[in-house]
Parts: sequence; C-alpha cells; structure tokens
Amino acid sequence: MNHFFKNIRVIEPAAGIDAKVNLWVKDGIIMHCSAEEANIDSSTQIINADNLVAAPGLFDMHVHLREPGEEYKESIKTGTDAAANGGFTGVVCMPNTSPCIDDVTVVEYIKEKSKGLLTDVKIAAAITQKREGKLISPMLELNDAGVVYFTDDGSAVEASEMMRRAFDYSSTHDLMIAQHCEDHSLTKGFAMNETVLSYKLGLKGYPNVAEEIIVDRDIRLSKLSGNRRYHVSHISTKGALELVKSAKDSGLRVSCEVTPHHFTLTDELMVTYNTDLKMNPPLRANDDRDAIIEALKNGTIDCIATDHAPHALHEKEVEFEKAPCGIIGLETSLGLTLTNLYHAGHLSLVEIIKLMSVNPRRLLNIPEVKIEKGINANLTIFAPDEEWIVNKSNFKGLSKNTPFDGYKLKGKPKYAINNNLIHESYL
Amino acid sequence: MNNDNTLSKPYLLGADDLTPQDVKLIFDKAQFFMDNFKRGEKFSDLKGITVALAFFEPSTRTKLSFELAAKRLSADSISFASSSSSLTKGESLIDTLRTIEAMNVQMYVVRHVNSGVPLFLQTNTNGVILNAGDGKHEHPTQALLDAFTLYKHFGKLQGLKVCIAGDILHSRVARSNITLLRTMGADVALCSPGTLLPRHLNIWDLPILENIDAAVEWADVLLVLRLQRERMESGLLPSIREFSKFYGVSFEQFSRKPELVLMHPGPVNYGVELDYRVSSYPNCLIQTQVTHGVFIRMALLSLLSKFV
Repeated sequence: MNHFFKNIRVIEPAAGIDAKVNLWVKDGIIMHCSAEEANIDSSTQIINADNLVAAPGLFDMHVHLREPGEEYKESIKTGTDAAANGGFTGVVCMPNTSPCIDDVTVVEYIKEKSKGLLTDVKIAAAITQKREGKLISPMLELNDAGVVYFTDDGSAVEASEMMRRAFDYSSTHDLMIAQHCEDHSLTKGFAMNETVLSYKLGLKGYPNVAEEIIVDRDIRLSKLSGNRRYHVSHISTKGALELVKSAKDSGLRVSCEVTPHHFTLTDELMVTYNTDLKMNPPLRANDDRDAIIEALKNGTIDCIATDHAPHALHEKEVEFEKAPCGIIGLETSLGLTLTNLYHAGHLSLVEIIKLMSVNPRRLLNIPEVKIEKGINANLTIFAPDEEWIVNKSNFKGLSKNTPFDGYKLKGKPKYAINNNLIHESYL
Repeated sequence: MNNDNTLSKPYLLGADDLTPQDVKLIFDKAQFFMDNFKRGEKFSDLKGITVALAFFEPSTRTKLSFELAAKRLSADSISFASSSSSLTKGESLIDTLRTIEAMNVQMYVVRHVNSGVPLFLQTNTNGVILNAGDGKHEHPTQALLDAFTLYKHFGKLQGLKVCIAGDILHSRVARSNITLLRTMGADVALCSPGTLLPRHLNIWDLPILENIDAAVEWADVLLVLRLQRERMESGLLPSIREFSKFYGVSFEQFSRKPELVLMHPGPVNYGVELDYRVSSYPNCLIQTQVTHGVFIRMALLSLLSKFV
C-alpha cells in the first residue's frame, strides 16, 4: 500500500522543519518530501492532506501490554493495535507481567511476539527481582538484551537502601531508573486523592505527600550516586513538580512524564464512584492540574505517557474500593492532548510533538525519527482540527476501561506508518 | 415529581438526597405510623411489593428494624446475608443484584462494607435503593431517626447545638448526621482525637472542640459514636484509657449539666466512649432512638414505594 499525502504539513521539531509538502510513502520508504510535485506511480493512493499534519511517529514510554500472564486484559497484539489506532508507532511495555520482566527469557519472548507489528515494542524491566524490592535484577544483561529503562512500576522500590543500590549498580552503564513514586505506608487501602471530598465519600485518601516523599528521596539518592538518570513516572502533584524543577535547575539528570488524564480530569469527579476514574496515582486537585499544565509549558515535564492500564470489565464493574487501579489511554492520548493543550492555547503543535514523540525517544537514547527522502517512514498523521466523539466500542484494545467514552475532542489521529505498514485510524 | 407528599428523589443513597421538605414529610409520616400503630395491626402500604434486605455486611439492629418496618407495612421481604450467600463462592455483587432482580424484587435495602455501593447498585437497577449503611460513607436512616428523636424531644432542630464525638473518620453515622443536621439548620460541632478526624479533612469547616469537657459545656446534644477496638490495633490511638480520659463521656460530666441530651447509634462500648451509669439517665435517648428507628424506616419504605 503506497500513499501520497498531497499538501500535508510536516512538523519535525528536531530538524526545525515545519512546512507544507507533498509526501509520498512507497514500500515503507519516504520517496518524496518536498513542496514540488512528485512522479507517483499508479499503485499509489492519493490523499488530499490539506488539513493533516505529519509528525515523527508518536512514542509512549509507559504502557501495560499485560503479556505474558494477563492476556485476558490485553496482549502485545491487541495493545499495539490500540497504539497504532491512537497514532503511536512506538511504546515501552511495563514489567509488571506474570512472569515479571526481570529476566532475559521474558525479554526475548516479548521481542519474538512483537515481530512484524506496526508499533515498535520497547521493553522496561524491573529494578528488583519479581518487583519485590529485595534483590536487584540482572540489569546489565537485561540492558544488553535491549531493555530501555528500569522500573518496578505498579509499586515503588520501598527501601531507600535498595534504591540507592539500584542507582549505584546501574551507574557503570548509565542506565535509566524510573520510579512509580508512592510511599506505600501512607497509601495503604487508598481509593482516591486525599481531600475533604475523600473524607465525605468515605474513601481512603492518597495524600500528595506520599508521592512527593519518594520523589524527594530518589532525587537525593540519584545525586548521591553521582547524578544518575532518574525518571519520575506519571507525576501528578504540584509539590512533586516543584521538586523535579529544582532538581533540573541544579543540573541533575531528572526527568518526568505526565498522563493525559492527569492534565484533563480532577478529583471532583469521584462523587460518581466510577471505577473508570480509579487509578494510581489518583486524579488530583485543580491546583495540581494547573501546576501540571504550567510544567508542560515551562519544560519541567519531559513527555506525555499514557500509563495505558487495561482491566477487564468484570474486574472494573465491582465495588469502587475493590476495583483495580488504572485506565486505558492509547486511543485517546493524542485527542486529549490536542484538545486540552493545543486548542486550549497552552502549547503549540511543535511543542506537543516534542512531548509525544521526540523527547521520550531522546530520554531513552532511542534514535531520532526523521522525515526526509530516502529513509524508512515512521510517521503519525493526524487531523489537528477534526472534531470527534470518543466511542470506546471503536477501540482496538481488548479492554475498554476509559472514562472518556462520549467525550467530545478536537484533534484526531488518522494514520500510523511504520515498518512498511500503515494503519488508518478507526475511532 | 416533587409535590407535597412525594420525596424529591426516587431513592435514598445519602443525606444529601434530602431537602428540608423531604425531612418534614418523613417525620410526619413516621409520626402518623407512631400514632396509629397498635400491636398486631398492619398497614398495607407495601402490599404486593417485595423488599430485599440485602445486608452484605453483618448488622443486627438496623436489619431487625428494617425487617419489622417492612412486615408492619405488609411487604413481602427476602433477607440476604453475605456470610450465607453465594458471594462467598465468588459471585460478584453485580451478578447478585441481577439474580435478585430477576425474582421481581422492587425495593432494596442495602448494607455493604464498601463506600459507594448503593450508588453503584442504583445505577444498575430499575428498583428503588435504600442505603442502610455503606462503608465509611453514609447511613442516612440513622441520621433521620436521630434527627426525629431530637425533633420530638426539643420540638425543633433549627439552632440546636449538636456535638458529634468520637471516631469521626470511620463513621458513616457522623457523615450522614452532619449533612442532615445542617440541612435542618442545627449547629454542629465535632470532638475527636487528631487521628480520628484529621483536621485538614474537616470538609464542613465545623468547629472542633478539643475535649469532652468543652463539648459538654457547648452542646445541647452529645451524639457519641462507637469506638471500634481495631483503631487501637491500627495504631490510631495509644490506649483505650487515654481515649476515655479525653473523649469518653463520664457520669460526672452529665451531673454537671442535667439538661444535656445524649444519643448513641449503638452498639455502645460502655466504659470506653460512655460511662455505664449514664445509660439510665433520663436524657439518655438511646432506647428512644431504637424505637423511632422502626417508624422512620416505615415512613421511608412507604414514601419510596411510590416510585416502584
């Protein structure tokens, strides 16, 4: 399938390109990328792209593909289908699988299963064996097998000594350590953010400080170990953002990501006891949301990641306090970002493409994606101004646990192109 | 839908659902049942209606009270307790609801250990849901019977000074009472150790009285809550002795202010939050609360049955 995108706006922030061109992709290769007319062949489909933007393929560094072990929630196939449908050509899968990704065998299994897919699957492995916080995982061997970063995501490395050891051990290869920042002794049994509302609703709260204590501790430990690469996953509080900003200002190699739901929704919605609003970290207060948007603007936040966390309907359709944490995000990420950050006037398209494509790859030392003649096409094509209503029954992912069903969004993924494959978004 | 003798909402999930008009309507109806109740006679308000008493959490007094209320209104009722149900076989709550619903049950009295369950069930059924206590969230019928008891004792609720004392953090009775008493214009204050009412979680910005002496001095009514023993085990309190000393109600305090009215949702831990000698005190309304409970629940079942 060959495609000619006539009069498309190409934005490639790394190279400083923002121009209207004619873009021809043939056999997975960019054959033509300039304002001039192209001599396309008869096998090529012509697409009038006046209202479309082509960007280096979007990349989500925080996705739960659930395979191996929980294929009833999601699999590598269905999760990457969802990714492509949402415009992502690359994802990083999380290690809280069963068995856990703490061993090269599991890494090789995932690599095997990911072959021939449109969306590239990169792998994050556990910091500690079985994510138990007791023994360090074979980080060097895992790194050699292609693991792009380390995290015990789903929970934090609790003991400070263990975290210090992880920084020290990984220092020889300058590996990136990411943390799900949660002081579990403060959050045991939580169901939502801790506010006066959690009290009123009779739900155990998760206070902001439970996140901030770990962010603060880890920044100090990363510094102690010689300024290590440290990444805060799904940052959600104003205080945590202040800690990251001040660390960055003092020259530490600290980075962070935010989810679309944390810059879109706030905890006031919890009055509905809707289990599709239950996640970890929980939806926070208005102040935090404002601070997140400010941090996206001033560069404190490096990238947008979904924390795509599929759960089956029978697991979510239960008592609120019993429901598992997490929502899916791959198929709404771009739409929410364009609606709430671009159309709301906070960020330009160039800045958004940096947050969703350029920065996460750069953080993980994954080669930059370019858009130029003669190279393999790795593209996300989207309609920044197209209005649509989210309909979760169109989603390609296996689980549908989203709070955004029925939301009206402006900006929609149209095509994902990578590995000589093209997917036309169906949303 | 709202007119002079209809509740504003077709369910009762929490005290927020009730307007002052609703409360008046419920009180009038409860008073009617009280006045016309004769031993052995039944009312026919719920004839032909099946009520499920779905108690997913153990309960004695609330369940008995609802059972009796339903019987006196000629309802058919089925009773349900979590320990003897297929929930112990792993059946989900939503499936249990669908099962009961398939038996043509129209009203559900729900007690559950998790907050928010009545709302969850209400959004999944066409039946009428009546919250009989959910987790740490709400217990609106308790608040109604408490308010009714006070209304009958004082002849008013407006301006009444009510202090709720004890484990506010874990108490659904406290939450429902605070909301309802405020709806009815009472002045509410709280008296609780810092761990059982984190001060920044004082959603209503209510005055907090620092010990029971201050509470006795300020209040017309003390509503004392039950202290669960597990609060000690979880480290929220250092000892029962210390709790009793600062937050327990003693006989001496009552003797100082004989007009003070005392209420407790039960069951009471005598010697912990309440001196046993207080229980025989004339202004201790604990038994009256229980008596009123049945009439309040009759009133609610009757009024809500109009939405079946």
